[in-house]
Amino acid sequence: MADELALRIQRFDPSMEERPHLERYAIPLKDGMTVLDALIYAKDTLDHGIAMRFSCRMASCGSCGMKINGRPRLACETQLKDLRSSTVTVQPMDNFPIVRDLVVDLESFFSKHRSVSPHLVRKGDEKEQESPTGEYLMTPQELDSLVQFTYCIKCGLCSSSCPTGSTDSLFPGPQALAQEFRYLQDPRDEAREERLDLVDTEHGVWRCHFAGTCSAVCPKGVDPALGIQLLKRHVMAARSPFRRRRERKGAKVFPNPNEDLLRKD
Amino acid sequence: MATNKRGVAGWLDPLHLNIERWAYVFQRVTGLAVLAYVLGHIGDTSFFVGGPFGEGPSPSSWSSDLSVTENAFGHVVLVMVVLVVVYHGINGIRLILSEYGMIFAKPSRPDYPYKAKSLRTVQKHLIWVAIIAAILAALYTGGTLFG
Repeated sequence: MADELALRIQRFDPSMEERPHLERYAIPLKDGMTVLDALIYAKDTLDHGIAMRFSCRMASCGSCGMKINGRPRLACETQLKDLRSSTVTVQPMDNFPIVRDLVVDLESFFSKHRSVSPHLVRKGDEKEQESPTGEYLMTPQELDSLVQFTYCIKCGLCSSSCPTGSTDSLFPGPQALAQEFRYLQDPRDEAREERLDLVDTEHGVWRCHFAGTCSAVCPKGVDPALGIQLLKRHVMAARSPFRRRRERKGAKVFPNPNEDLLRKD
Repeated sequence: MATNKRGVAGWLDPLHLNIERWAYVFQRVTGLAVLAYVLGHIGDTSFFVGGPFGEGPSPSSWSSDLSVTENAFGHVVLVMVVLVVVYHGINGIRLILSEYGMIFAKPSRPDYPYKAKSLRTVQKHLIWVAIIAAILAALYTGGTLFG
């Protein structure tokens, strides 16, 4: 490994400049150095004006998402030696407005997350919804089927890598859709129809064409592409004419297998 | 703030990314190619063979129309048509099966080092089936036309 790294950082102040440009910084290499370490060195010693966002430095907070050598990654968990290159280029995540340099505005990302009601919905009793009087249980198998989606740290890497997001601003994105699947999958949630209606729209789940990049870049092992495809399956099953016919006959098409476990007043 | 959306260029850049993203790009490009071919083919057979701008339907007009492809360039175009149609068709079946959730394992707890389950299942093999089938079909077509 060379003793020095050429770190190219995209610099851009939208209020002052028309287009971004790359600036090159020479970083002395150390064993175990991450891209975030290199950025912090550059900011501390070479150019205090570099705008970047980071916090926990251990892939928990999701603040340091950026494009590193063309691929969305967390800077804190990307080892420089793993990149196998003496030149590393860092750019802000795609699909989000640039505030400055490597900092992007995630407001639309979080509002899309909020739009899918990322919480359990219990119908009929508002008081119980806000202040539950007991536990709502699920089996370990049911937990296994959704727990990976709860590991999302909302770093935005999946949505920045999504090709649909590069042209469709109304597409909720893989993060929000994966969360929708997580709550749809939860046997304690009672908003199934509302959730399906929310994603079965022109800009909803059908805009995903399974490029799989969201799952490939997720740093926490979440598989949004899988969640979205299974979400499509739920929508198609719910809209099936066979289902409606069975419903008319009074059959319970999606019975909750754990109804006995759920708390009842 | 600058929007930082890449537009259509964002669809067409699979560099540094997974094979499913490459398959996505090829599906889009081959889809447009097949659409262009179908439109050209319909226009060709309707307008020039028997349509308002042609001499009317007849064996001779059809033969003269076919002669357009009876040269090296025409053969290469036909080989490319076979290549993109076979790839687009088989990959399209893979995408249909994906949308029905039929070729995925159930979601489970992720284990480090994380490898997404959806990118490890039979759907990945189907991409290679589409690529290999398209190449074999193109080779067969090329052998038939040039042989």
